[in-house]
Amino acid sequence: MSAPKLNVADVAGLARLSLTPDETTKFTTQLSQILAHMETLGQIPTGDVPEVVPPAQPVLRKDVPCPSLSVEAALSNAPAQSNDLILVPKIVE
Amino acid sequence: MSLAHETLASLRRRLSAKEIHSRDIVKDLLTEIGTREKTVHAFTHIDEKAALAAAEKADSSLPLGGIPIALKDNLNALGDPCTCSSKILEGYRAPYDATAVARLRHAGAIFLGRTNMDEFAMGSSTENSALGVTRNPWDPTRIPGGSSGGSAAAVAGRLAIAALGSDTGGSIRQPAALCGCVGLKPTYGRISRYGLVAFASSLDQIGPLTRTVEDSAILLSALAGHDPRDNTTDLRKPETFLAKPTGSVKGLRVGLPKEYFLPGMNAETEAAIRSASQWFEKNGATLVEVSLPHTPSAIAVYYILATAEASANLARFDGVRYGRRALDPKDLMDLYQRTRSEGFGPEVKRRIILGTFVLSQGYTDAYYRKAQKVRGLLRQDFESAFTKCDLLLTPTSPEPAFPLGERTQDPLKMYLADVFTISTNLAGNGAISLPCGFTKSNLPIGLQLIGPRFGEEKMLQAAHAYEQAHDFWKRMPPV
Repeated sequence: MSAPKLNVADVAGLARLSLTPDETTKFTTQLSQILAHMETLGQIPTGDVPEVVPPAQPVLRKDVPCPSLSVEAALSNAPAQSNDLILVPKIVE
Repeated sequence: MSLAHETLASLRRRLSAKEIHSRDIVKDLLTEIGTREKTVHAFTHIDEKAALAAAEKADSSLPLGGIPIALKDNLNALGDPCTCSSKILEGYRAPYDATAVARLRHAGAIFLGRTNMDEFAMGSSTENSALGVTRNPWDPTRIPGGSSGGSAAAVAGRLAIAALGSDTGGSIRQPAALCGCVGLKPTYGRISRYGLVAFASSLDQIGPLTRTVEDSAILLSALAGHDPRDNTTDLRKPETFLAKPTGSVKGLRVGLPKEYFLPGMNAETEAAIRSASQWFEKNGATLVEVSLPHTPSAIAVYYILATAEASANLARFDGVRYGRRALDPKDLMDLYQRTRSEGFGPEVKRRIILGTFVLSQGYTDAYYRKAQKVRGLLRQDFESAFTKCDLLLTPTSPEPAFPLGERTQDPLKMYLADVFTISTNLAGNGAISLPCGFTKSNLPIGLQLIGPRFGEEKMLQAAHAYEQAHDFWKRMPPV
């Protein structure tokens, strides 16, 4: 496994981040160093090792309704709202 | 003596005997905060009036009745800010209690202050806070560790009796070690994370930072137990930890993992840890050399998995439902991108990009899946070590607190500071850090004891026996 070329601006776009040119340059250098460190994993034999499951077995509860946040509480931090709804920019032309 | 200097256990006895009132503790803490918080900056928010009002109403017949506790600023407590030390959560007020907070409230605790942290718990020095750096009470030119640096500095600096933190790769234990207090990361599944702002959900645990091991056990007893709102919490019955301290380590098999004692490690740290292991041997424990052969891979595994999980968890900060929203967005994409780019600091952006990359098409097998497999090997290392010993004894941090600013431009060097704490999160085990000495320049050194999964009782017994035979925990920082 050799260190891949990381296109920081493209990946930032996937993560819905827009970077300044300075940030792009700086992150490119720093992340290349970090990825080079991660390349060391390639040397560890993991042929038939199973992919790990989270370290706890999930405990499921019965699917019954129970009290949750009131509409008022749920909307208390919304940046913009009207008539118990969150306002966002128009998404359909 | 100011009540701010007493342990939680001692205050609890005095409150219950009605020798003192909760308001006396809060007032003494506020006096200390008034004198030293300007230098330390452990808190992001303090509501004096609310704390005093809660103290007036405190019920001292409850297990934690009237005990003030500080909360890391990533735990939701109804009506209080929860900024995660990020600009993106400016102005947010929690509409509900985290389960850990609700359990402390139910036990009678009151809350005094929200503590500073690395933004979204991403860091090892608390320098990644958008709300200013926290300084180490032992030397204000140095970092307090991180990410729960505010909690550790508050407890060590006598600005809080006890605090909660969260630990994803060492974020409770490393600052506890660097500030000279006790930090416990419980076994994965021991404490509910409902209401903790998620960073890396397969690794995150909440835990206490305290002056003593006994205080740690008291808080763990109050916090532990199944919660239907966090389906990773274990179903075992609640227990009272350290109910009967034995004060003995006789017959204990203490494992020293050879990968944790490396040539070139900080000499004073190594000397203090060696001397602690000799104390265990002198007092009837057997020392066993063990191996955790995949330790050198732990940092790479951690920074792949933690950033992958973080990139998904932090997708919720989009400017739509809560938190900051960019002004006058021209469309939805603009709203997302500008909100996130203006709201997140550099370390959070760096980790989101790294996490997105390791999950992106064409790279998941080489990074994410590979790291998951090596995580499995790391877990096997621990399981095999615990067939030969009862506890592992290691340094918490490879070195004492480093100077502010030293590593902010070199993230890889900062990541390498987590080498001794990260593996336990990856394996899911519990671990505790407690003071075991000081450097010549008077900086605290932390000893880490790691237990098998759900082995907290044995770990706390051993830690308590060691602590009580020494006086490190009684020393006061100069600031």
